[in-house]
Amino acid sequence: MKPPLFQYLAPSSLDEALALRAEHADDCAVLAGGQSLMPLLNLRMAFPGTLIDLGGVSELAGIREFDGGVAIGAMTRQRATERSELVRDRLPLAVRALANVGHPAIRNRGTVGGSLAHADPAAELPAVALALDAELVARSSGGERTIAAADFFVGFLTTALAPDELLVEVRLPGLPAGHGASFVELARRHGDFAVVGVAAAVALDSGGSIADARLAFIGVGGTPVRAREAETLLRGAMPEPAAFAEAAERAKTELDPGSDTHASAAYRRRIAGVLAQRALQEATP
Amino acid sequence: MSIEVTLTVNGAVRSATVETRRTLADFLREDLSLTGTHLGCEHGVCGSCTVLVNGASARSCLMLAVQANGAEVTTIEGLLDGGTMGVLQEACRDSHSFQCGYCTPGFLMTATELLNERPHPTATEVREAISGNLCRCTGYESIVQGILLAAERGA
Amino acid sequence: MSAPQATRFTGKSVRRVEDEKILSGRGRYVDDIRLPRMVHAVFLRSTVAHGRIVSLDVEQARTLDGVVAIVTGAELAQITNPMQLGPETPDVLRPVFTPLATDKVRYVGDPVALILAESRYAAEDARDVIFVEYDGLAPVATIEQAEDPAGPVLFEDVGSNVLYTESVQFGDPDAAFAGARVVRETFTPQRVAPVPMETRGGVADHHPGTGDLVYHAATQSPHALRLLLSGLLGQPAEQLRVITPDVGGAFGQKAGVAREDVAVCAASKLLGRPVKWVEDRVENMTSATHARSETVEIAAAVDDDGTILALDVTMKLDLGAYPILPFAPSFLGPIVRTMFVGPYRIENLRWQHSAVATNKASYGTYRGPWAVESLVRELLIDDIARELGLDAVDVRRRNLLRADEQPRKMITGPTIDGVSSLETLERAVELAGYEGFREEQRRARERGALLGVGFSTYIEPAPGPIDFFASAGSHLPPSERAIARLEPDGHLTVITAQAPHGQGHETTLAQVAATEFGIPLEHVRVVHGDTQLTPFLLIGTGGSRAATMASGAALHATRLVKQKVLAMAANMLEISPDDLEIVDAVVAPKGDPERGIPLAGIAMAAYFATPPGEDEGLRSSALYEQPAGGWSGGTHVCFVEVDPETGVVELLRYIVVEDCGDLINPAIVDGQIRGGVAQGIGIALLENALYDEDANFLAGTFMDYLMPTAMEIPTIEIEHVHGQGLAEVNSRGVGEGGTIAAPPAIANAVADALGGVRVTALPLTPERVLDLLDAAGGAA
Repeated sequence: MKPPLFQYLAPSSLDEALALRAEHADDCAVLAGGQSLMPLLNLRMAFPGTLIDLGGVSELAGIREFDGGVAIGAMTRQRATERSELVRDRLPLAVRALANVGHPAIRNRGTVGGSLAHADPAAELPAVALALDAELVARSSGGERTIAAADFFVGFLTTALAPDELLVEVRLPGLPAGHGASFVELARRHGDFAVVGVAAAVALDSGGSIADARLAFIGVGGTPVRAREAETLLRGAMPEPAAFAEAAERAKTELDPGSDTHASAAYRRRIAGVLAQRALQEATP
Repeated sequence: MSIEVTLTVNGAVRSATVETRRTLADFLREDLSLTGTHLGCEHGVCGSCTVLVNGASARSCLMLAVQANGAEVTTIEGLLDGGTMGVLQEACRDSHSFQCGYCTPGFLMTATELLNERPHPTATEVREAISGNLCRCTGYESIVQGILLAAERGA
Repeated sequence: MSAPQATRFTGKSVRRVEDEKILSGRGRYVDDIRLPRMVHAVFLRSTVAHGRIVSLDVEQARTLDGVVAIVTGAELAQITNPMQLGPETPDVLRPVFTPLATDKVRYVGDPVALILAESRYAAEDARDVIFVEYDGLAPVATIEQAEDPAGPVLFEDVGSNVLYTESVQFGDPDAAFAGARVVRETFTPQRVAPVPMETRGGVADHHPGTGDLVYHAATQSPHALRLLLSGLLGQPAEQLRVITPDVGGAFGQKAGVAREDVAVCAASKLLGRPVKWVEDRVENMTSATHARSETVEIAAAVDDDGTILALDVTMKLDLGAYPILPFAPSFLGPIVRTMFVGPYRIENLRWQHSAVATNKASYGTYRGPWAVESLVRELLIDDIARELGLDAVDVRRRNLLRADEQPRKMITGPTIDGVSSLETLERAVELAGYEGFREEQRRARERGALLGVGFSTYIEPAPGPIDFFASAGSHLPPSERAIARLEPDGHLTVITAQAPHGQGHETTLAQVAATEFGIPLEHVRVVHGDTQLTPFLLIGTGGSRAATMASGAALHATRLVKQKVLAMAANMLEISPDDLEIVDAVVAPKGDPERGIPLAGIAMAAYFATPPGEDEGLRSSALYEQPAGGWSGGTHVCFVEVDPETGVVELLRYIVVEDCGDLINPAIVDGQIRGGVAQGIGIALLENALYDEDANFLAGTFMDYLMPTAMEIPTIEIEHVHGQGLAEVNSRGVGEGGTIAAPPAIANAVADALGGVRVTALPLTPERVLDLLDAAGGAA
């Protein structure tokens, strides 16, 4: 289990990285934190002709306020993100999700952008991006565009990034102050990828009914899934178990999970409903 | 292809030319003969190969040696204090923490990070912190006790 | 000033001799060995479960940079002898096979070619450009398929996949079943893998100048490895030496000889260079041994009061493809059969068993290889209790043998004596607060919480009485040898036949020897793991023998040296040896330390003026004969809570009450118990070496094969019950019980939490638990 041969390129600036990305667009892998790519290389399940290591592109790391929300550079480590005061203040959902990402040694190396661009359907951060209507900033030598999270996750380990593009930043709008968030997942073991996971956020209006609710699921198909019909049901309702149960039932109809050695599709759908109720309950401020 | 790297390992500056695909684990073990770092799965799950990179735990099987260029790396060999065992190691010895010794380096490096960040963890916090390290021999209790004893002794 | 007392080191949790090394990164495992001119070995393995090799193209691979040689199965077969189990045995089919596949492959992971290169990286590069074409054959993925006479056969030379069958009965089961109430069930526990944290491996070092071959091997049975390799390689035994460096766990997987061992040693002879083989984790999961995977149909004849009158058992064992030498297809069945009645008063047993070959990785020994008997029996006891409306603890009480009934013969043959299972059960009931728990459980259920408790009671031969082996058809030696030698400085070397790999024998045997000899613990060095030095013992470390057998051998060898020391000192002091004692490394008349001679003085004399008839250093060898008794055992209790909505099982509390006799080092004993229970928890809840219907392996990584982490293992409470000691050495093995007893305790607890469902398959994944709950009509 040793990585295969590849050409190793270590750009020291974003412009250089983008030029290399364009030059090797047909056969290249991008090394961010390496916590997903390195296993694939060691297992020889990936044979990239070229490896572009973004470790030296310091401008891609950083956390800043953005339009009331938070913008996180693609190369920001997950551990730095979960410890960021700004993130803790504005994005409680992200903090809760990150606590479920692997183990500290993984989060020390793993990056926010790497997880999003890898697009594992059982990974936590994509669900956060989806639930918060994040915008993902993609850049190529030709320019920059933003992609809505809803359009970014295309399929299993597949994103809307073009072969010459790099994900440079994710912009996560904050929800109203005082909103609550929860990330609930069922994994076979502590720290494992989720069998099913739910990202939930709930904001109440002054009358105590639900002003905004977000529900996104992982482990239920090729991509993370946002349960928009369930969210619609919740909007305007009182945050009570009956409403959560109804929303969870609706959410289950919005999912199309698959089966693997850890759980069947039917179990995943069922558990998605259970976890959704728990997450909504916990997210209610 | 190979690249020249320079890094600090257990306090000593080391330079070497390494193949770019070489993992940090293999670099430490094969090129620097620091065989205390063990390979248990090479896909980032078992934690046996855990080292500290700039003070933060990392799976050395999931890093290329070239990624550690310029970094400070600490391995199990670096936990020795002037040739003698440090507080954590002594506490684990007193607690019969380990059996076959293969997972041991990874646990000690993970525990070192934990105790640096949280000098007085609870048993649950210890369990959570070491849950990314697999041990097949002990059932973990003795490891938890060893780390708690080290904390008590001010590791 | 009072005379110094002889120091007793046994019974204390002294620090381990092994620990300074492993805690400072100074262990030396196989992968840490680097020899001049050493090449790295990587195996190309089959991607199909069953097929003929149509073509194997290694030409491109041979041209790659760094590649030293590529050896095909056919080439290797020319320089090795065919692999076949030893002497012809009635009723056992013995297929003949080769270290690498030649004409056909028999499981996903079957080694097909051996790549030898200057680095592991280069070897893997070469592997990627070897092209094999297979003509697929129908896979034998299940026991049923293996038994189908019209189905495909793995080994054409023996003509059948059914390699062994036996049918035997004890007592009069027909009479016992006649008219009795019958409780029956079929159990299908899963296939699991031992998963030592260090994978298998070895460095073969053939010296072309001398013809000597040294194999540095991660093994738990160095003498078995040497013996078998000698024959398979045609290597004279005096020119073959197996050395075990530090070994990172084994749990039964590193016993015997693997086909890869043969290939690697043959390659070293072929090249005249050292060859290192360290399998990677995917290979370890895919191609090293798997275990368990028995299916058991069982019926119990019972009285209305829960008395078990008879058992009728049919066990089928899935052996996988290639037998691991020297374990015959017939090795497990008789042990399971012998153990099936356990510590219970069960007087009738009908037993049918078959062992079949399938297109899977080899079946191998794994911690408590016969554990299925306890699993099935303890689950069935709970089923019986529920069917009869009785308490499962009461059913155990009614059937367990009392102390006053021992010794007696188990119906299956061995003498049961000194077994305190009933006492461990009673103590466990007490510690668990069992009586009060039923009320707590009822109240919890009212608020929708599912709590459960499960018990399991078991015994293990550790090492067992001498008639156990005869009954179980085992060829294990009934004795074990150790050697002790006084060193010139008065220190003691003890050479053991054990090959420890985590068990702490360097410590425990030193505790025994230092106490016997009267010297400080640090004056004893325990040597092991080099066939050039160590006494012959086929099994090495395994079978829970060491606590009794290795300790007894070390004790007696030390005692012989001590007697010789006392005789020499008696001469010098002109006093009877009976009036001498050794305290803190000084030989002195009893009560008169002032007249003592330091042991070092006698030691020098023992080298420079060796008494006639004595060996250098008064070297003494002692054979310890297996004593009576020899059973360890106990009761496990587990409390669980099941999440009725997700099926997730949480272990709330886990209690072990164990009787393994005198504890040499309590911390080591408890470590063995906790480690064993942790593996049992893995079996109960997480682990599954799963194949699909085409015999493709689905658990090749640690993302698929789930071992428990520190978050899945609760604190395990342990209490020791010290039953009757029957032998001079009353410390007994404790390595296997945890893994044997935990799965049924947990499964019974889950069944109890779910309101009395029948658990027949493992692991209890959340989904399986929820299915059971649904079948039971939900949580209401």
